[in-house]
Amino acid sequence: MLKVHLDSWLREFGPRGNEEIEAASVALLLDELERRYPRLRFKIRDERGELRRYVRVFVDGVDVSASTGVATPLTGAQNIDILHSIAGG
Amino acid sequence: MASDRTVRILVGTRKGTYIVTGDTARRKWKVGPVAHEGYEIYHVVADPRHPGDLYAAVNSAFWGPQVQRSQNWGKSWKEMMTPLTPPRKDREGMFNDADPTTAVPRPLNNLWHIEPGRASEPETVYLGADPHLLFRSPDRGASWEAIDWVNQNPARKEWGPGAGGACLHTILLDPRDPRRLYIGMSAVGTFRSDDGGRSWKPTNKGVLAPFLPNKHPETGQCVHHVAADGADPDTFYRQDHGGMYVSHDRMEKWTRIGKPLGDDFGFCVASPPSAPGRAYFVRLDGMARVTGEGHFQVHEWNDRTKRWRTLVSPTAFPGHFGVQREGIATDRLDPAGIYVGTTTGQLFVSPDAGKRWQLVPFQFPGIHSVSAAGPAAE
Repeated sequence: MLKVHLDSWLREFGPRGNEEIEAASVALLLDELERRYPRLRFKIRDERGELRRYVRVFVDGVDVSASTGVATPLTGAQNIDILHSIAGG
Repeated sequence: MASDRTVRILVGTRKGTYIVTGDTARRKWKVGPVAHEGYEIYHVVADPRHPGDLYAAVNSAFWGPQVQRSQNWGKSWKEMMTPLTPPRKDREGMFNDADPTTAVPRPLNNLWHIEPGRASEPETVYLGADPHLLFRSPDRGASWEAIDWVNQNPARKEWGPGAGGACLHTILLDPRDPRRLYIGMSAVGTFRSDDGGRSWKPTNKGVLAPFLPNKHPETGQCVHHVAADGADPDTFYRQDHGGMYVSHDRMEKWTRIGKPLGDDFGFCVASPPSAPGRAYFVRLDGMARVTGEGHFQVHEWNDRTKRWRTLVSPTAFPGHFGVQREGIATDRLDPAGIYVGTTTGQLFVSPDAGKRWQLVPFQFPGIHSVSAAGPAAE
């Protein structure tokens, strides 16, 4: 079971604490998260299914956003962090 | 409510929505409620058909765009349905911000303008968005239908963005004819539909495109904003990249009026119902994109005398001020209130059609949009 931790700002749309989800990839994990919390739809991913530009997904501490992205397999993973990147002004 | 004499200035900023409240004297203002902290609010507008209803175009570089609605003058807000771009197979040809020469599918970007429908269609709301998208809701934002002529047009691959993006920022409805409406897009120009949005005609005749080899193309003008005359629905005032214009024939042709001002660059224009034939522009330096004379200034065009009048004393508000395309608004009172928000967070108010001006004593974040809600002249 994966332990999913969301950015405090994202908690406006989703779970207030950690969420436990079983999923084989980042895309499938986000599918399940959005099923449980419909307001998260199109916040983390756009309508093409791609991660938004300033969203970062970490798998066991490794940022996969710009590499394998939503296709990242989660076999053997334990912790997922979904955060917003340092940007803005 | 007819007895409600409250005047509200709805301010969309780089960091949230601010509702500024006063009365018909329009001299004392109270700031609040504040909402959407941290979000970019490109437009906030009241729905005069449903008193208390506000719509906000809520944008975020992090979480994408949202349509939000309040039903209590901004005390609380609810996320409504936000329309999306068409399916992937239909999205070829949309612009990629990073490389405008490469046509790649793009998702819905920022929301730019929300236009409540006519009194005769009380549930209808229109929405303009980037990239060059127009939607209509039949149920006050619960669902949206795409206007396909715009959203699926094969010519989209020729439609370029302005510096603010591929924004559809102007939506104007003919109050007499439910089939007639107008749109403005950067950098595509204006279009009119006479059949409820099924087909559209470019309406840019006479408007200069100084940045193109062909200076008078059918489309490609960088329209910044258009306002309908406060009383005559066939007359429009246009602030374009290529100057200030008027049309008296439903945008069939445009006449440049800004040349007496010298540099007639700017972004915004408004025309109040209490002053037919008057339009208010904020002229900016075409290079620096701030008020060029070294002070805040608003210019009034009188379409009857064909003359300009400068409204603000040169010594009243020194400085260089930027004003964006939704940065000016007028109310429905007589004399009209004029409201101007700046990119550096000043909110200027005139309670008497430009005779006197004051600053609302509050430092806002950079202001994207200003609109007014309140009673009409009696």
